[in-house]
Amino acid sequence: MNIFLHEIRAYRKSTLVWTVSLIALVLFFMSLFPSFAKDAEQVNELLKTLPEALRKAVGIEIGSFTSILGFYSYVFMYIALCGAIQAMMIGTSILSKEVREKTVDFLLTKPVSRSTIIVSKLSAAVVSIAITSLSFILCAYFIASYVKTENFNEQAFFLLSSTLFFVQVMFLTIGVIASMLLPRLKSVLSLSLGVVFAFFFIGMFGSTVGEASVRYITPFKYFDSMFIIKNSQYEWSYLIVGLVWIAVALSASFYIYTKRDMNAL
Amino acid sequence: MNVIESNQLTKMYGKARGISNVSFSVKEGEIFGFIGPNGAGKSTTIRTLLALIYPTSGSATIFGKDCIKYAPEIKKEIGYLPSEVFYYDNMKVNDLLKYSASFYKKDCTKRIRELAEALNLDLSKKIDDLSLGNKKKVGIVQGLLHEPKLIILDEPTSGLDPLMQQKFFELLREENKKGATILFSSHILGEVQKLCDRVAIIKEGEIVKVETMSALTENSYKKFRLEAVHHVTTEDFQLDGVTDMKVKEKTVSFIYKGNMNAIISKIAEIPLKNLWVEEPTLEEIFMHYYEKEE
Repeated sequence: MNIFLHEIRAYRKSTLVWTVSLIALVLFFMSLFPSFAKDAEQVNELLKTLPEALRKAVGIEIGSFTSILGFYSYVFMYIALCGAIQAMMIGTSILSKEVREKTVDFLLTKPVSRSTIIVSKLSAAVVSIAITSLSFILCAYFIASYVKTENFNEQAFFLLSSTLFFVQVMFLTIGVIASMLLPRLKSVLSLSLGVVFAFFFIGMFGSTVGEASVRYITPFKYFDSMFIIKNSQYEWSYLIVGLVWIAVALSASFYIYTKRDMNAL
Repeated sequence: MNVIESNQLTKMYGKARGISNVSFSVKEGEIFGFIGPNGAGKSTTIRTLLALIYPTSGSATIFGKDCIKYAPEIKKEIGYLPSEVFYYDNMKVNDLLKYSASFYKKDCTKRIRELAEALNLDLSKKIDDLSLGNKKKVGIVQGLLHEPKLIILDEPTSGLDPLMQQKFFELLREENKKGATILFSSHILGEVQKLCDRVAIIKEGEIVKVETMSALTENSYKKFRLEAVHHVTTEDFQLDGVTDMKVKEKTVSFIYKGNMNAIISKIAEIPLKNLWVEEPTLEEIFMHYYEKEE
């Protein structure tokens, strides 16, 4: 428990900054919605002039763009991107920072098992992310309720928003396993940005070519916002693949961490 | 009872040598020195004992329990101070020590205050702002605050000024008197000489010799230095037990281990101007071990 609290405290500031930033981002975009909605006709006409490939890549669908959920889902793509960066950074650094800052000797000579350490640290990371996600979802809901021009499907809204947490957990595990496979990792930021953007662009590319199998590659595409809005549910196959990935990545990280030699600095 | 028992402990890094077949035991209540030059395998041995790295073969027990399998349990009673200390920079000294104490199920507040006072350490400062020596003090307090039964020190004196070093040794002797066993690794022989009851000499990953400090320095080895009237050669001192001989015109010095009468009668054959018989420093004995092996 003491490690958990120590980690939560260590991530307190960055969690706060990320949470506030995500909320500010959604507030800014959603505050534009009323004007888009007012001139729906013209906006749709304008969007039609954009090449279809581009519209698909950036996730704009004509017709739904001027509904609040459609607009929100477009904004949400970028929220998920930011959330993924936050999660990947925590995931990458949570175990590797001890090695980089050379505090690993301190921690590992205490009467705790390595399993306890990794579980405490992961719980702290998940809780930090959950705080961000939850605060974001609640604020986004209030913002959406405030700017809406007509009632929207709240269940779909929450289902869509909750995918933020899921995407974050996936990137958290990607970060953790990356830090295990690259023990001499120097820069968390560049690795995190690189990997997250790579997946993001793979997702964009996949949407453009309309290749369904690409969706399995990038966590950003595990949840199709249009599908969620229409059906108010997730696509189970992707959810299962995601959960399996999380389980595999965590078990592998767990195994590597408990077996690894912590060599002298 | 043996607090540490290392049995053929071996660690290979791929094909590179870490340590091989390291066997030694540390008895309860003793101060055991672990000495060898940098890269000889002192840290590797210690890190294996602490389960920071895993042995390739062999095993070791601490308090009678396997040091890998029961690592978390054993570490309740171990205090460890590495040669270079690194702590969470943005924490205050007091917060770090409290965090450290939170791993042990006892109240260490009083002990922290005592140790900080003895070492003259300001608890309210940020770790980041501390000098190297002061960081080291944090390390010392951190290693001793839970009153461990076994204290493991890996080249602990770097960065401490002589005065603090003395204070630190006093603290260690106090802990030792209270019953703590100490494993002390160093490449500075004088330190080990000052503190330890027994030493293991390690070289290129292998233990060369384990001996009591008194046996090393007093009982067997003597350093002879003499000034003769005439020129002398090495042949004049051919005798079993003579090593490390240096002849320079009329002066000779060597280290001798063996029957005193034999060497004295040998020396008696030579007209002398002057004669010194001294306790060799550990350094000299140590060099002697190293040369013998080569």
